[in-house]
Amino acid sequence: MSEELIQKVKQMIIDSLRIEGMSADEIDSDAPLFGEGLGLDSIDALQLVVAMEKEFSTVVPDAATGSKVFASVRSMAGYIQEQQG
Amino acid sequence: MTCFMFPGQPLLRTEMQAMPAFDELACCCQDKTGFNPLSDECSDPGLSENVRLQLFGVTMSLHRYSMMVLERGLPDVIAEHSMGIYPALAASRSLNNAEALELTFRIGKRLTEMSQGVQYALASVVGLAYESLNPLVAANRIYIANHNTSRHFLVAGERSCIETFANEAAAAGAFSTAVFGCDAPLHTPLIREIAADLQRIVNDYDYKDPQIPLVDHLEQRNLTAADVPGFLVEELCRPVFWDRTYRALIGRGLNSFHEIGAGSSLTKFNRWIDSER
Repeated sequence: MSEELIQKVKQMIIDSLRIEGMSADEIDSDAPLFGEGLGLDSIDALQLVVAMEKEFSTVVPDAATGSKVFASVRSMAGYIQEQQG
Repeated sequence: MTCFMFPGQPLLRTEMQAMPAFDELACCCQDKTGFNPLSDECSDPGLSENVRLQLFGVTMSLHRYSMMVLERGLPDVIAEHSMGIYPALAASRSLNNAEALELTFRIGKRLTEMSQGVQYALASVVGLAYESLNPLVAANRIYIANHNTSRHFLVAGERSCIETFANEAAAAGAFSTAVFGCDAPLHTPLIREIAADLQRIVNDYDYKDPQIPLVDHLEQRNLTAADVPGFLVEELCRPVFWDRTYRALIGRGLNSFHEIGAGSSLTKFNRWIDSER
């Protein structure tokens, strides 16, 4: 998958979650987004679902899919690429 | 214009750095309640984890408030969510810190007695709209305890009903559901059975008019000293309306919001509400 898409996903996370004082380059593409890593929670997850739909026209239909998709930035980018066919 | 927002009970006790200001508040808590939220010492081993969390949350909020006032000065408005009312009363000088901690403890202890014989629980539900959620709530004889945003709710009731509801909510398309044990079905009409006892506790304190406007989460009005005793009982019997509170604060021209306590849930709810405006 393209580095460009990964950068776009990182920027979407920063913008939609209003993460201050962090640039896209500082987010590890493979680090877990929830718990450790960025420490996101279910409130953040729903915000990311909406942002992905808005920016990439990609739907995360349920929590089970979400837990796989939001494992890391790379998995998010992979899901977007897969859905966009 | 700046608003300091006081959140309700945290889900976890996070590690505290021993700082003189927090240590002083933790000692004040221990003096008034027997529980020290820094050292975890407790004179009553039977004190429930929920009451400890409430006291930890209040102490943390009082500490953060003193830090924020040093950093930014006093806020223009104070807002509160659920049990955030107790430190909010202290921040607005309606009560002093010791009274706020003692009041939290006494109310928490009385709420705990509700769990003798009945198991209660809360469930946070993320992703379902009110129109989808409410029929499930009614069918399971439980109650919406927090209207946090259009898609973030907390429900409360008997544990078995909450567990059934959580499964149904997930099947109905909730993005996530999480069930937590609790001492009492906070912010529901079930609390009315102990309302007289709660009112007696609340009436033991001499509330002053808040020196900083203190906006309540039920009607979004500025509380006066005369309002406080009634509000403190009523708010435990009715849901928290955070969504409409935040919108009302925006409508008043507030544009800088700071969460004064453990966690950042109110900031995240505000972010969601902003995305819908």
